Amino acid sequence: MSSKRIHAAWFGLHFFLLTAVCLAGIFWLIAQGATILPSACNEYARKAELGATWCLGKEAGPSNPLRRGIATYLHAAGIQAGYSFFAPNVPTKHRLTLELFYDDGRVEYESPHVRSKAAALRLDSLLDRLPEQRYEPVREVLVKMLAFSVWRDHPNVKKLRATFGSVNPPSITEFEQGKMETFQPMFSFDFSLRDEQTQ
Amino acid sequence: MQSAVKSPGSQISAGLNLLQKCWQRFLGFLFPRETDTWLAVLRIGLGLQTAVYALFLRSDWHYLFASSGKGLVGREVGEAIASFDSPLIPKLGWLVALGGSVNMSEETVLSVAWACLLSAGCFLLLGLFCRPAAIVAWFLHLCAAESGGLLAYGADSFMTTALFYLMLSPLPDRYSFDHWVVKTKPKNPQLLGFWRRVLQVHLCFVYFIGGLAKCLGDGWWNGSNLWRSLIRPPFNLVSPDILIRFKYALPALGISICLLEVSYLVFIWMKKTRRVWLVCILAMHAAIGLLMGLYLFALVMIVLNLAAFGTNGRIGRHGFLPQHKRTGAFVEINGRADA
Repeated sequence: MSSKRIHAAWFGLHFFLLTAVCLAGIFWLIAQGATILPSACNEYARKAELGATWCLGKEAGPSNPLRRGIATYLHAAGIQAGYSFFAPNVPTKHRLTLELFYDDGRVEYESPHVRSKAAALRLDSLLDRLPEQRYEPVREVLVKMLAFSVWRDHPNVKKLRATFGSVNPPSITEFEQGKMETFQPMFSFDFSLRDEQTQ
Repeated sequence: MQSAVKSPGSQISAGLNLLQKCWQRFLGFLFPRETDTWLAVLRIGLGLQTAVYALFLRSDWHYLFASSGKGLVGREVGEAIASFDSPLIPKLGWLVALGGSVNMSEETVLSVAWACLLSAGCFLLLGLFCRPAAIVAWFLHLCAAESGGLLAYGADSFMTTALFYLMLSPLPDRYSFDHWVVKTKPKNPQLLGFWRRVLQVHLCFVYFIGGLAKCLGDGWWNGSNLWRSLIRPPFNLVSPDILIRFKYALPALGISICLLEVSYLVFIWMKKTRRVWLVCILAMHAAIGLLMGLYLFALVMIVLNLAAFGTNGRIGRHGFLPQHKRTGAFVEINGRADA
């Protein structure tokens, strides 16, 4: 009987945390105004999201043992993120284009690449995360590393410009009218071998 | 006229009785008696999943998880982000540091980790050293998923969760090589039922939240999200010219997906509708795998659904009710004396 109680307690705690994670995700989407709900709901959703994240200990300090304990458990169980894949709408695809400038004035265009399709999927996942606000502090570092991964294959390149942007696909009607996807630049970085300059 | 006023003591007693009944019903729900067929499905499915995961990433393993300056972005950034959440989250950097202490290079450690992951998958597939293989598969996959956190996507979360549950479940099952060699004792059917229940409830969360989030987006009601997801590289395996021919079916399909997911937690429990919902969900994941190239995601979801609801291993007929109530309740609902 005590074994059953322990299992039942774990069940309750586990699904309580999962509920908090999922609700935090849903409320975040509403608070961002990404849903069809009226904007009047946004403020309530923001408060509700705070309540859900409080349950996960995220309002505590970064070194708080309870917060760390919950975070470790969530990651170990694979439940640190909600399940709103491709929801409420399909996210925009992003692309990183690298312009390689050689000494002789030659310019080549490249993109970061991997060998397998499975890894390409992961690279796309990384690029789609870059515009998110929470990755802003590491954005430049990541772009630099992606640029460096291409640079290693082209050691004669003197300067490199990385342009990051969103790829907007045509709607069904636009596609029928012959329109293709459009590229909307969001930011770019210039890198040279010795020093770097950010635009 | 005499009023039937109950004393506070009897009211408390009635309340406690009610609570006791609810608790018993809850335990009855949590601990149905099950065979280990579902566990065999989960073990074999996750063994296949782990092996395929390792093989798919074979050519890029070092490139994805090497340190800065050697790989794509270097695993340090992903590990730093994970460490910000908690320094206790496992990562490949731990293994590299451990290997470094015995003079193993980073490249060797990564190769060993990949080989161990593939072996763990194969062992799970065969049912050999089930529990250690499940723990190793969970740990190594978690390390890879956290070190490459920026490169991870939905399939990784589901794989971690599935391996986490598998590792805690009462292994080995009777179809495993372990059982055949060691002749282990049969596992407690209620414990088997508990872990299956965990998996079932988890899937209900997954589909309800996923369906709810989709319902909140206008693009799933007019079909534009299906169009966008199918023409979005690298998921654009089907030519847009072919998709255009089915443009009038896209809104209906989009709405069907929303309804299928959001109603999963109701209809998957009903005996009459379970098979229909299961087949529809499996078909949806098979279509995601084939039309969008998300093979790992499709495989793990199919495995989880088959293990949770695809096998009929119930011992006794009504898991929702406590044992002593089951026959009576069935007679009452169905009005059949033979139940």
